[in-house]
Amino acid sequence: MKLLLAEDEKALSEVLVTVLEKHNYSVEAVYDGNSALKYLETQIYDAAILDVMMPGTDGITVLKTLRKNGNMLPIMILTAKSDIDDRVIGLDSGANDYLPKPFDTRELLARIRVMMRVQGTQTDEILKTGNIKLNHATLEMSSDVSSFRLSGKEFQMMKVFMENPGIPISLNMLLDKIWGSAGKEEKETVWAYISFLRKKLKALHADVGISTVDIGTYQLEVFTL
Amino acid sequence: MTDEEFYGPALCTLKAAEQFLLEVIAEYPAVYGEQGADFPVKSCQSRIKSAESMRKKLKARGFMTNLHSALNDVYDAVGIRIICGFVDDVYKIAAWIEKRKELEILQRKDYIAWPKPNGYRSYHLCLRLCAGGAAGTLAEIQIRTMAIDFWATLEHQLKYKQKIPCEELIRKELKRCADEIAATDISMQTIRDMLENGFCEGLEKDTES
Repeated sequence: MKLLLAEDEKALSEVLVTVLEKHNYSVEAVYDGNSALKYLETQIYDAAILDVMMPGTDGITVLKTLRKNGNMLPIMILTAKSDIDDRVIGLDSGANDYLPKPFDTRELLARIRVMMRVQGTQTDEILKTGNIKLNHATLEMSSDVSSFRLSGKEFQMMKVFMENPGIPISLNMLLDKIWGSAGKEEKETVWAYISFLRKKLKALHADVGISTVDIGTYQLEVFTL
Repeated sequence: MTDEEFYGPALCTLKAAEQFLLEVIAEYPAVYGEQGADFPVKSCQSRIKSAESMRKKLKARGFMTNLHSALNDVYDAVGIRIICGFVDDVYKIAAWIEKRKELEILQRKDYIAWPKPNGYRSYHLCLRLCAGGAAGTLAEIQIRTMAIDFWATLEHQLKYKQKIPCEELIRKELKRCADEIAATDISMQTIRDMLENGFCEGLEKDTES
């Protein structure tokens, strides 16, 4: 599980990184809102923890920007403000959870676990990139002219690509996200599924495709005419 | 009305056209690989459209229900269906037929690239014979994979049922099966390509590009 932590108080950030890493999360720490936005828009995370009061862009603005761009990453807001109005603004801006400072790290860890569980059960959305739609409920990938029903792994892979259009994704990241790090699958497995999806996208007359960015790195690209 | 009564002497010409097309398709070459000869045409069926079914179709399309209409206004008095294993075979066979000098292609309908709303996927060729005793006869050739053919047998039954129980549900589930079968067809084609081109070679080539 990869987390982004945006917290401008260096001492607190260091403590949180230590605790989270001890619980097997891999954490990237940034110390201002602009960096948070830049990291979240160009890399793949499983969740983010954002402080509200930060130099540059504040946490709520980062959150709103991500949601406006269709990024549905689980996000927790951390702040010293424990006023009810602030909590409501945070949640209404698209936060999955809100934790007022000071907090016990055990509660933070439990809340991260809840956020990940809830995300796994949100199954009614339809993702859209270019002329391609991906339906969670039916595992259907479709365009205006045709549709296919995907296998479970194909669906999960396409979901990762569609949730992160234009972001380079490595074979290892896909292995980790879809097969889990404990799996025995090799990069060949990932490549086979990329091949399945590429051919199906072509058969759908898709205006998006999975292109090779670099050695073993792929991204969902929207073709412009 | 029997077929003889409806088609009259033209029935002989239609049968000759059917035979002619079967002989043309029988010439489709085998592919020789490590396993020996492979025949991409897995099976080939043919029929002369029954008088009853022809009259129904002409009526539905607003044509006169007579012999002249049957031979000129629709293409499928003579119908051939070619079944093959893989999606690419469909296109290879179609391209081969389209090049035959004894056949004039009048219309192509690619329902594989552009499926019908019910999920139907096949490649249709409407053509006119321009050689042999039945020259001038119109015919339709349908080409599809075994998997889709299996699906189509059930879909075909719906057309002849007067009353379908839970019709909406049945059609929805049948459409879902078509999308699932078509997805499997594409995956099978991808795996065949990997076997033929060397799986790891593909990966290396891909990661180096």
